Amino acid sequence: MRRRFPQIVCGLFGFTLFAVYFSGHPIAGAINETVLRGYWQIIFAFALLVGVVSFARFNLGAIARGSDRPYRIASLVGLFSMPFLALVWGIKGDSPFIWVFDYVQVPMQSTVFALLAFFVASASLRGFRARSVPATVLLVSALLTLISRSDLGDVLFAEFSDVAEWVRDAPSMAARRAILIGIGLGSLTTSLRVLLGLERTWLGSDS
Amino acid sequence: MRLQGRHWAFLGLIAVVTVTMLLGIRPAVVPSADTERMYGYLDSLPAGTVLMVSFDHEASSLPEIAPLAQAFLRHAMSRGLRLIGVSLLAEGTGIGYRLMSQTADEYGLKYGTDYVHLGFKPQYIAAILSMGESLSKTYPEDYSGNEYGALPLLSGISNYDDVAGVVSIADGSLTTHWIEYAGARYGVRVSAFVTAAMVTTYDPYLASGQMYAMVGGLRGAAEYEGLIEIGGSGTRAMLAQTAAHVYVILLIIIGNVIYFRLRSKRREA
Repeated sequence: MRRRFPQIVCGLFGFTLFAVYFSGHPIAGAINETVLRGYWQIIFAFALLVGVVSFARFNLGAIARGSDRPYRIASLVGLFSMPFLALVWGIKGDSPFIWVFDYVQVPMQSTVFALLAFFVASASLRGFRARSVPATVLLVSALLTLISRSDLGDVLFAEFSDVAEWVRDAPSMAARRAILIGIGLGSLTTSLRVLLGLERTWLGSDS
Repeated sequence: MRLQGRHWAFLGLIAVVTVTMLLGIRPAVVPSADTERMYGYLDSLPAGTVLMVSFDHEASSLPEIAPLAQAFLRHAMSRGLRLIGVSLLAEGTGIGYRLMSQTADEYGLKYGTDYVHLGFKPQYIAAILSMGESLSKTYPEDYSGNEYGALPLLSGISNYDDVAGVVSIADGSLTTHWIEYAGARYGVRVSAFVTAAMVTTYDPYLASGQMYAMVGGLRGAAEYEGLIEIGGSGTRAMLAQTAAHVYVILLIIIGNVIYFRLRSKRREA
């Protein structure tokens, strides 16, 4: 029963929501509203709580063991200071929460994201080689895309944008569509297997 | 520490970007068909039309997202379109609210009448579907804590049926959910301003008509700024982006020259 009950709940909710999605009936709308605004948000809140408790416990344990103490303390200070600032002074306008967000979080995240440019520079110099025919095709496509996303393409020759657009619209889009259709079919198959109880790995092991 | 090849490459990149940003040259950019389509779409909407704008991005992509968002907001607000802001990512909430307020101030627009920001709602699929049933029940209050019914702009706005479309400003795949749930389930016209890295992800949706229009990347922002004839940070950063791209192309060429020379030497040996 420990495994059967969650399967029944999963199947019931899964098939109901599947049917409701395609229905315009008021009852379907009412079910949608209850599940989406009520149940889903409650589940999310509990999932968040589990994540916060797990993160805090893991890092507190690591601090006690003396592993990477400064980084873990910084993580925990960040984790608890933002809710504290939000609860005490709110999250609007000139509140400390927004100040920390604007002048600490945004610059730090932008900095980490900007490091990608250096990875690209390093990869361009050391890794992006025309070792084979497929690698050469990839290299030429990358060069075309790089030039097309700057002003250079228009300066080089007028038809450059058309060539770059063709790369985007034909080979790139064909590959993307194939991937999307594959993901769609895979999601459908996996979902049906879960709802029908054929796929049970999400329940964990019996032990 | 002895500097290696990649360190010189990093220093070169810093130098290229810094110098080109300091030059302050704003190159003219030829608008693409995609950008012109978005401009034409927004330009065709009558003044007073209500649009929903969703700030579906994180703080990390702000240097690329901000020019895109500002170009869109300036065009929409200058044309008298009324905007309902929402966010499917917590970080996009404060950024979106600030961008809307700043742009509204440029045009002397009033909060509650010309634009509102409803704030963040977790669980994006649930949020999108829930807004399709009832916007007021999904957001009983706006971002500032005002009751839904107290905001004049929202009177008569029940769900997606009462808005002309959704414009998603995104740095990830969240626009896909707008297309798959708001577009497919409720028939909403979805358009997007996205980072350059996401352009190819959305190309199939644009080609199939599931997404109505899309503007991508810093170049897209610069193109849009050119169309609305308001210079912004997109145009300002285009020279730096172009220079950085040329620099990366040069690095690729240098890397390949070194690779082929070493390979031919090994073969000779």
